[in-house]
Amino acid sequence: MRLELREITKRFGSFTANDSISITVEPGQIHCLLGENGAGKSTLMNVLFGLLHPEEGEILIDGEVTTFADSGEAVRRGIGMVHQHFMLVPVFSVAENVVLGFEPTKSFNRVDYKRATEEIRRISKEFNLEVDPDAIVENLPVGLQQRVEILKALSHDAELLILDEPTAVLTPQEIDALMSIMRSLAASGKSILFISHKLKEVKAVSDVITIIRQGKVVGTAKPTASEGELASLMVGREVILTVEKSAFAPGADVLEIRDLVVRDDRGLVAVNGVSLDVRAGEILALAGVQGNGQTELVEALTGIRPVESGTVTLNGRDITNVTPRQALDAGIGHIPEDRQRYGLVLSMSLADNLVLNTPKRAPFAKHGTRNLRAVDQNAHDRVQEFDIRTTSIHELVSSLSGGNQQKVIVARELSRPLEVLIASQPTRGLDVGSIEYVHRQIVKHRNEGNGSLIVSSELDEVMALGDRIAVMFAGKISGIVDPSVSREEIGLLMAGETQVEHV
Amino acid sequence: MSVEELTPAVDTPSVRKVPVGRTRVIGVIIVVIGLFSLIALGLNTSSRAHSALTFSPVDILTNAPWHLGTLTLLTFWTNVILGLIMIGVGLEVLWRQPRRGVMGRFGFISVLFLLALLFWAVRTPGPSQVSFIDLTSILVGSSEVTMVLIFGSLSGVMCERAGVVNIAIEGQFIAGAFVGASIASTTSNYFYAAIGGLVAGGIIGWILAFLAVRYRSDQIIVGVVLVTMLSGLSSYLNLQIFTPYPKLNTGNVLGNFAIPLLDKIPIIGPVFFNQSAFFYLMLLLIGGVSFALFKTRYGLHVRAVGEHPHAAATVGINVARVRYINVVLGGAIAGVGGVAFISQQGQFQPGITSGLGYIALAAMIFGRWRPSGAVVACVLFGMSVYLADNLQTYNIPISTEILTMFPYIITIFVVSGLVGRVRAPAADGLPYQAG
Repeated sequence: MRLELREITKRFGSFTANDSISITVEPGQIHCLLGENGAGKSTLMNVLFGLLHPEEGEILIDGEVTTFADSGEAVRRGIGMVHQHFMLVPVFSVAENVVLGFEPTKSFNRVDYKRATEEIRRISKEFNLEVDPDAIVENLPVGLQQRVEILKALSHDAELLILDEPTAVLTPQEIDALMSIMRSLAASGKSILFISHKLKEVKAVSDVITIIRQGKVVGTAKPTASEGELASLMVGREVILTVEKSAFAPGADVLEIRDLVVRDDRGLVAVNGVSLDVRAGEILALAGVQGNGQTELVEALTGIRPVESGTVTLNGRDITNVTPRQALDAGIGHIPEDRQRYGLVLSMSLADNLVLNTPKRAPFAKHGTRNLRAVDQNAHDRVQEFDIRTTSIHELVSSLSGGNQQKVIVARELSRPLEVLIASQPTRGLDVGSIEYVHRQIVKHRNEGNGSLIVSSELDEVMALGDRIAVMFAGKISGIVDPSVSREEIGLLMAGETQVEHV
Repeated sequence: MSVEELTPAVDTPSVRKVPVGRTRVIGVIIVVIGLFSLIALGLNTSSRAHSALTFSPVDILTNAPWHLGTLTLLTFWTNVILGLIMIGVGLEVLWRQPRRGVMGRFGFISVLFLLALLFWAVRTPGPSQVSFIDLTSILVGSSEVTMVLIFGSLSGVMCERAGVVNIAIEGQFIAGAFVGASIASTTSNYFYAAIGGLVAGGIIGWILAFLAVRYRSDQIIVGVVLVTMLSGLSSYLNLQIFTPYPKLNTGNVLGNFAIPLLDKIPIIGPVFFNQSAFFYLMLLLIGGVSFALFKTRYGLHVRAVGEHPHAAATVGINVARVRYINVVLGGAIAGVGGVAFISQQGQFQPGITSGLGYIALAAMIFGRWRPSGAVVACVLFGMSVYLADNLQTYNIPISTEILTMFPYIITIFVVSGLVGRVRAPAADGLPYQAG
């Protein structure tokens, strides 16, 4: 399918989300839409998918002007969308999800599951997307769930696939698998519109790159363009992709973890005898594929999850199995991995979120009542200091962009004296500009002589930040290496190989 | 806050923390019930006392060319054995902590306990006037309440599967009962009464849907308000209309319609084949609702809307329409349930439904939002309501109020997750906002 968007303009009140955007996607092409969060990529895709209606401009499919009343119509015209948050019913089977809305039926309006299953098997085979049609979606790993989304789009005879930030929730292996799926789909003649802000992926898979900033197309590029060029087009200024760090001068051990064993929600051992030391003035980066116990480890350190055995000491003080309150008071700063669920109270204001960890402490409270003036003052200061973009400190934190939400958390955690900072996936889902910012703050904190434990499944991040890199696999530390080692070596450790020499 | 975004997270930690040993708690409860039965109802009785279980027909004249006779048991040993079985099941739950079927076991234990209680109550020599348990009459007697409950919980299933909490079942009962009583009194025809109840319940459903879908109001609040309003309105109208014109509320009870031959089958006959038209309608509805929800295309859409309305919307399903249709249909079913209730009671009185709508809601939860499960729960709850009403007859030294609490206590067990895992439709009660 040849898709052409001509001068699409979409406004929300006085805000112009898309400002006469024109894009052409050729058949069999992987066209990437690169832009920061809030640049208007998702709005454009929702316009294309019939969920929003543009004020101006037209959509042409194979040269023919088309309008979509709703997404059902877009689907019928051969447009398939893989949403960032999967549009799958978790308790339904793969087959039920794929046929939903387009069910084959037999007598009495019954859904013909036999035919549905056969159809899914056929498409699976055709595009090499193996998945069990009878499996319940919620039991599938994320990568496979995404595959179901792609299958769903293909089963509706999609000729153009929109992939909205498809790699945000995937592990590195799953990303590789997705890329090869994309390539083979394109080879079979499908057009792909790939939305992302991750430069490496974009370069790896795209045929053409269109860069969007603040609702406008600011340029197109070939995948051969350097990451620096792409990043500066996207952000609108020079971006420093490497993090400047002062010389590594580690001090004494701050956080000592000894033989820690922690169980997960299902009662299985998730952290299996982990010992780690975090020293003052050092960033210990903890790498590893998601789900190898990192989450449980961090939860145990911050008092959210009980420790089964082993000890945690902070500056010689035993903090094993403390409450989250005690952990905060002991001087642990925590940037949780899911900022919306654990880092912020979305329905509260920016100012309130900035004092969530110290609401009862002076100066924010006196005699059991809140000192709102101090809270506001603090918010003003933090907004200035951490460059949080907001119209007001009383704005609900849910209305901020992801990057600014993360800045709120970083501001809150780093603006009080800490013994150690524990940050989990601190830049997940953030755009380049925000990543740069968060990294600088973490490094600044380290340069001031503080210890940090940074958990990340992004290899780039681990290698950029870590003074030492510990790799976790299956609940154990499979190795601790110097950041100068090759990506392959860390990759091996992430896969559980332990022959690499320890530092 | 809008609809909770379903993020199939990379790993979903801490979302569903299952405290270890919840199953154990239920195991302990079962063991305690078993011990109570063993000691208080079994070992405590005289070893000479005996209890009789009869299967005699309700009406000798109309249905009974047969006679199954009477089963006479030694109360002591019967209850000791029942108690031991209960303890055994409890220990099994404690020991193995099964993941599935805990709720089924609990239901089974409840039935055994009720049996043990009855055996104990009718023991001779004993304090009770009644010297035998008539299984048929218990089943037939409780089937009246059970039927009304089933109408209610099917209504609940219809609404909640589409993501709208229908706490207004009680209100729909009241509306149906009021309208049904007046139509049945004036026309002497329960067919018209049923139509009237259908419309009345449907309107209440529509109000709920309108406020929940169009204005995205809190469905629980709307539901409670509707019940309160209808109970007040029905009292008022009763005073203003039925009191001055008693002809509008004469109360005529709908007779039974026996299905030839089938009604002669022991036990099953009187329970299933010698009932009022409403009972047969209910049987059809159970099948119909199950079929519609789990086999048809429309049912798949309904369940998708109840679980993940955004996903449904992206494949072109009209979320608002599905919700309107289901909530209006659900209201209509409960409205007919109200008429069915009146067809047994005759006259309408304020407060006549006495919380049956809430028990129906509880049964639906106990039945895990499935028609089949809800029916089983309704039978159990119907039995306990019936027994609560007839405790006097058996001279059981438990206050009626305690037994009346039974459905609610079980519901608390269920929703607290003590009895296995229950999961409401994910978007149940959450307003949907497009985009």
